[in-house]
Amino acid sequence: MQGIVATSLIGISLGAQYALLALGFTLIFGILGVVNFAHGGFYVLGGYIAYSAISFLGMPYALAVITAALGTAALGYLFERFLLDRLIDDHLATLMLTLGLYMMISSGILITFGPQSPAFAFPLTGVLRAYGFYVPIENLVVLAVCVAGIVSIYALIYRTDFGRALRALADDRAVATAQGLRPKVLFPTAFALATGLAGLTGALVTPILSLAPHVGDPVLATSFLIVILGGLGSVGGATVAAFLVGMVEAFSAVYLGGSKGALALFVLVLIMLVVKPSGLFGQRARGA
Amino acid sequence: MSRPALSASRVGAFAEIASIALIAAVFIVPFVSDNPAIYSLANQVLIAVTAAFSVYIMLRMNLMTFAVPTFMAIGGYTTAVLGLRLGVTDVLLLGLGSFLVPALFALPLGALVLRLTGVYFVLVTFVLTEITQLVLFETPAWTGGSNGLIGMPVVTFFGSDLGDNRAVLLVTTGLALAGALITAAVTRTLRQHFAAIEENELLAQSLGLVVWHYKAFGFAVAAGVSGLAGFALVNMLLTAHPTSFSPLSSVNYIAYAIIGGKSSMLGSVVGGALLVWAGEMFALRGEYSQLMFGFLIVVVVLAAREGVVGTVSRLLGRIGASVKSRPLDPASLPTATESQR
Amino acid sequence: MSVTRRNLLISGAVFAAALAGASGAAMAADQELKIGVVGVLSGPAAQWGLALKGAVEFVAAEANRDGLIKIGGAPYRVSVVAIDSKYTAEGAAAAANTLAGQGVKFIIGAIGSPEMTGVKPIAKRNSMLVLGNSYAKDAIGSQWPLVFHVGPGPSGWADPIIKIAKQKFGMKSVMMVAPNDQGGTDIATVDADAYRKNGIPATEEYYQRGTTNFAPTVTRIMNAKPEAVDLASSPPGDVGIIVKQLRQAGFEGPIGRLGGPGYSEISRVAGGDAVLKDFYWYEPVVIDEKAQQIADDFKKLLGTERPENNLFFQWVSGARMVVKAIAQAGTISDTEKVAAALRTLPVTDPNLGSGHWIGKEFFGVNQELSFPFGVGMVTGGQLQPIVRVEAATGK
Repeated sequence: MQGIVATSLIGISLGAQYALLALGFTLIFGILGVVNFAHGGFYVLGGYIAYSAISFLGMPYALAVITAALGTAALGYLFERFLLDRLIDDHLATLMLTLGLYMMISSGILITFGPQSPAFAFPLTGVLRAYGFYVPIENLVVLAVCVAGIVSIYALIYRTDFGRALRALADDRAVATAQGLRPKVLFPTAFALATGLAGLTGALVTPILSLAPHVGDPVLATSFLIVILGGLGSVGGATVAAFLVGMVEAFSAVYLGGSKGALALFVLVLIMLVVKPSGLFGQRARGA
Repeated sequence: MSRPALSASRVGAFAEIASIALIAAVFIVPFVSDNPAIYSLANQVLIAVTAAFSVYIMLRMNLMTFAVPTFMAIGGYTTAVLGLRLGVTDVLLLGLGSFLVPALFALPLGALVLRLTGVYFVLVTFVLTEITQLVLFETPAWTGGSNGLIGMPVVTFFGSDLGDNRAVLLVTTGLALAGALITAAVTRTLRQHFAAIEENELLAQSLGLVVWHYKAFGFAVAAGVSGLAGFALVNMLLTAHPTSFSPLSSVNYIAYAIIGGKSSMLGSVVGGALLVWAGEMFALRGEYSQLMFGFLIVVVVLAAREGVVGTVSRLLGRIGASVKSRPLDPASLPTATESQR
Repeated sequence: MSVTRRNLLISGAVFAAALAGASGAAMAADQELKIGVVGVLSGPAAQWGLALKGAVEFVAAEANRDGLIKIGGAPYRVSVVAIDSKYTAEGAAAAANTLAGQGVKFIIGAIGSPEMTGVKPIAKRNSMLVLGNSYAKDAIGSQWPLVFHVGPGPSGWADPIIKIAKQKFGMKSVMMVAPNDQGGTDIATVDADAYRKNGIPATEEYYQRGTTNFAPTVTRIMNAKPEAVDLASSPPGDVGIIVKQLRQAGFEGPIGRLGGPGYSEISRVAGGDAVLKDFYWYEPVVIDEKAQQIADDFKKLLGTERPENNLFFQWVSGARMVVKAIAQAGTISDTEKVAAALRTLPVTDPNLGSGHWIGKEFFGVNQELSFPFGVGMVTGGQLQPIVRVEAATGK
């Protein structure tokens, strides 16, 4: 029992981290129909922007996190507006474009900052211990930001005109455009929102784990798993699936070990896809 | 409907013949050069092109596959196990095995995953590549686990050894040629069926096409062609190692097919040759190589929307025929990009 | 449309630059000794390759400064061609082939086992001399007479380090934790055997390469209740996180890393020496004042800081030996002659001390360089001076 509760705690903290990442990924897919291979790149970039802001500009950590979120959002905006937007309806072309961007981001960081992890520590350390359980304080901060992030995204998507416009565009672009919505403004903004979220996550999570040019690589695979489980483009589905993946990863890694645990997770996702192809909360699929 | 289809098929035939001729032309290389760098480049390009054919076949059915490394691994490990455990060295037998085993494997797998379309299919094939690595790690008795298999016997052709640089390139060329012929034959024979599936699967089904048969067949053939590429890779390196079939390498094969031009077979040939060659050049630039490679992909995607082959042939067509006739396959133009113009 | 055309031009320029670089290197072929570097320069393992590349560039600059290479009385300039092997067998094989095509006869690298597997057949086919690294059990051998090993693997140094750690910390059981691919299993299995030989029962636990949050792995370790944990060749970033999370979980025992250098980075990621608490690791060289001299010279000759990874020093000593052997053999094309000279050269380095050729017992050939090495240790949260251990013999 002790073990199960402790493992669940780990699953929740993994889930919070994954949810923040997958939200942006699923937003971009749901609204723009783009599979963003550069998502991990924005995550790493967020980490490095925050690190630079602290070490070179002497910013306090909280401000650095906001700078990272804004910086990656701005970059995402420019990328969508000037490059991605030209090919927005060609799924293969956008996939290639984001892939090329990812290669440039990660190698650019390697060249600029070198291969080693820099000194980038989370300002709050310490562990809460009670009844034989333990929770690092930093994990609670991530969980809090995650909850706040999910609530704001929900509010934004379901309670504001901006969100309604985005949903309309996601539903039927032709009709929405005919009714006067402007994808030229809304798409870059939505993209910026998602990349800003990735940057925020990077700034928040990399000091807890580690910051290095390649730490964005696994982000893609995890995001894939989550959107498969949750259903593409579904914010609620992605949230639930993120915590589900976190739980499965925690339990399988604790009780089965490294390779077998990962295998269990992948096979579970595979079965899920076959049984219910559209995920937990998904709608119809878009073309490749 | 009939006229564009006719001209499209003519353009397609040209691309197929050109692809096969280009690959066959590599047979000359071992007789005119003994530069190991050229051999190595030719080997890599041919393996890349063969793997890209697999992506090309799947794209005919509007399915983008990441699973190429999975089937390459099955093909490659099949030949390694045949050589090491059973002492099979005949190149024809090994080639047959490297095609058939992945193809047979693809049938039950296809029953599971071919129900998916669009991005779901993309994602599930990506998951397959991750599973492939883990299965390799977890079955050391068969696959050597994380260390892979080394020390295969040299392959033979009617009893004579094919072990030196030249022979290795000849084997790779032969496998690539086989892959090209199979790809051309299948996409040509089933052109109408695939086009119907690509256009509107539901409609095709309601008109009486047993979509499922053709999709499964296409998937199996694509898997087999990947397997040929896997055999060529294992034969070139004399080792079957998990790092050769990494999940992210699938992205390369997709890039070859799309950057070259997804609407014709020649696109895979041109894309594979261009990107492998560029990768070789860039590797000399050390840590800048990835940066340049990424930049190249971005530039080509932006500058040549239909891929290198599609864009070049459109430009040629424009120059050649200022008359009203349309020399290009209209189906190959993505409809979405047209609407933007 | 104008933008796309400009993009085309830029891409053309990039190509032209790449081509010019390649052909430029090929043109200045006479009076030049070209040394090839095959190493991973991109992706997660880039720091290993960048340390290797920096070391060989440094040794070349040094040789040029001192006019070290003279063939038949004529001075030769040493240049370096470094190629990214992408940490795969095919990347390394392609790199070796490219070097062969450029007429390069000497390769320093590769680093990882899959890479060495790719390089060796090509090198043999083109009679190139290779000084590589790989901790695989068949890294070198009698079937590859021209392949040398830059330093011993865990079979050479795990045992003395374990003896020192056992004396210091007195652990009675250990759990090996490493990634589940060859880069992890090759080393962890040998380390585990070395622990067992010293009377310390060892279990092995492998995690999925690419894991970012190790909390589940840490729970699994805690459930097994080992007295010590050894992270073998886990990358420094991973080690930093695992150590931090182990300490958060309340693990009090010593943590080893018998797999390679990277202490500074590990300490940075973990959050300082206080978090490391009791920590010991294999340090390929003892960085004393003499060794530090290399770092100063590096800055003087190449104008930048040396690569941080300490394997840099090991590669410097190895590359120097190869250059010395070439100078002594008086040929830049007859690799058999150079190899013969290399085998008989006394193993000494002006900065790193002296050792000997070993490898007969483990690999069947005496082609492994063995220099004095170090054991790093943090005890009670305090960094201790590196303990110098004499060069491994006979293994």
